[in-house]
Amino acid sequence: MACSGFDGQLVRYDFELQKLMEQFVRVRIVQGNALDLSLFQFDTDLTFAAFVLNADRTVYGRFGTRSEQKRADKEITIEGFREALAGALELHRNYPANKSALQGKQPLPVKFKTPEQYPGLTGKYAATLNYATGKVASSCIHCHQVSEAQRRLFRADSQPIPDEVLHTWPVPDVIGLSFDPKSKAKLAGVAAGSVADKAGFKAGDELVSFEGQPLLSIADVQWVLHQAKDPTTLKAAVRRDGLPLVLTLQLGKAWRQKSDVSWRSSTWDLRRMALGGLVLKELDADRRSQLALPDTALALRVDYVGQYGEHAAGKKAGFKKEDILVDCDGLTQRMSESDLLRNLLQKRMSGSRVPVTVLRGSEKLTLELPLQ
Amino acid sequence: MLHRLLPLAIGLFLAANNLPAAQTRDQMVLSDRDNVLGGGKWIYNDLAKGLDEAGRTGKPLLVVLRCVP
Repeated sequence: MACSGFDGQLVRYDFELQKLMEQFVRVRIVQGNALDLSLFQFDTDLTFAAFVLNADRTVYGRFGTRSEQKRADKEITIEGFREALAGALELHRNYPANKSALQGKQPLPVKFKTPEQYPGLTGKYAATLNYATGKVASSCIHCHQVSEAQRRLFRADSQPIPDEVLHTWPVPDVIGLSFDPKSKAKLAGVAAGSVADKAGFKAGDELVSFEGQPLLSIADVQWVLHQAKDPTTLKAAVRRDGLPLVLTLQLGKAWRQKSDVSWRSSTWDLRRMALGGLVLKELDADRRSQLALPDTALALRVDYVGQYGEHAAGKKAGFKKEDILVDCDGLTQRMSESDLLRNLLQKRMSGSRVPVTVLRGSEKLTLELPLQ
Repeated sequence: MLHRLLPLAIGLFLAANNLPAAQTRDQMVLSDRDNVLGGGKWIYNDLAKGLDEAGRTGKPLLVVLRCVP
């Protein structure tokens, strides 16, 4: 099921869900234009996100998680959404007595209150969609443009883009936690040897609160991770076999760098900045073996070459589909596209040109990648 | 020549078989508004109205942010 299928069930078909939803005032927003960023702070690469709020703008929780390009619904289910809504109703019944527990869930101060106030978006979009002329899609600010605009500020100021801006909204897998998407925040698994494993988490544990914040969904877990320092310690209240337990996660330095950004729409703009519009994939084990490339060596295959405008900078520099990058700006150790993007965007500013060695058939070529 | 005739042939095939053609991005946004407002269960693109109604009724607010096209 794609996001559109989930969304369709939500607005039309799922009668059980409708019963829950009737207890809410329901608002649907389909535009980034004039979106109140001082209230709606969420993973802007999602195509579906939900908030549950009090009328005084207190946030009860967030819903909506994604970690892959192809499976937009891997982490969202109607069952999980029902659980989140039921949890929100309980928080609403207990409000305002629970206000202090909700404090950590509240949005942080922002520099730009709406997307169109960001430099780069200013003057290009109106506060409302252009329904009158029928050219409505092109009048819409897409949510991912917000994170793109935020990163462009660093680039324009010749500043490295920090980890917390590149690796936003880390999915809990980064620390070894995988959740059952049909629940609010119940663990489906814990990766062996991970930070979560070392903290004592077990499959079947139900996270009740994280850093003192009551949880309605995986997105609420991500909110805590999104705000977390580097390195840091986080406390989770857990229910295991009906009994309460408190577990402590120790997140080491650069912990969020494990978060893969390749699936994100906004990464398209990072590729423009750092890779001249190239899309890179890790070389599979067979090809690596055929080319006698060690497991520890850089081997990123050009999967796509941008064709137009600034996304064609790699093409103009001579890169071709199926080229294999084995050295980029002196980086020769194995890494993912996300890692390479981060390395370049934190060390090389716009206007730099970096040497790249590629394998093309039986040839080894040195090309120059222009950064933007 | 074939590539010029292909869209016409597909259009005729869809019309003849009464199949829905793929919507353009504009059509998707327009039909989302029409469908959702037609259902009468959602306030559309108007947070202030939602907050007012939540304040008046004492209900909590559910806000869905959806990128349609």
